[in-house]
Amino acid sequence: MIRGRVIGEVWATKKLPPLAERKLLLVAELGKGEEGFAPTGRVVVAYDRLGAQPGHEVVVSFGSGARNVIQTGGNRDILMDAAVAQVIDSE
Amino acid sequence: MFLGRVIGTVWSTVKWDGLEGLKFLIVRPYHYNDLLKVQAISGRFTLHDGVVAADVLGAGIGEDVIVAYGHSARVGIEPEIREGALPMKPIDAAVVAIVDRFHVYENQNG
Repeated sequence: MIRGRVIGEVWATKKLPPLAERKLLLVAELGKGEEGFAPTGRVVVAYDRLGAQPGHEVVVSFGSGARNVIQTGGNRDILMDAAVAQVIDSE
Repeated sequence: MFLGRVIGTVWSTVKWDGLEGLKFLIVRPYHYNDLLKVQAISGRFTLHDGVVAADVLGAGIGEDVIVAYGHSARVGIEPEIREGALPMKPIDAAVVAIVDRFHVYENQNG
């Protein structure tokens, strides 16, 4: 899992059929720098059903763990490998 | 998954039988700084490492795509897996969507 910040959204109409009709967010990975958390440069596309808002810090899960966010169990055919698993409370 | 731009294609004659007829693209991921620049200078971004991804959607060079990894990629290329077939192709990255547009929020702090 990575910690990241929601920086944008992606829209696509031409996609493989099982890709869930859900909001896809652009999440910038954050790493611990000298002055707190800062973007590392890596950006991932993650499915979101928790309602993360622009600028929110989130935890993104990958792989099978991400598919559990979309459907618990029997989810091996879901074409999604990254999902927002947590929205981090402000510190 | 990541957002990237198609910058090239890969051809090979010596390959695993299951890969016959499959198209492979080189996709360059957008990095954080690229996305901020895209806001200001459309279509220009600095170049980084490329990822080879299988494609059945017909993405062309210059298009922006979403690439998935691992099992998701294999399901995308081999739909039979959904009916219970075992994965047969040595693939771990695939184009799962051709992007219409993306938006980067102006205020990164929400």
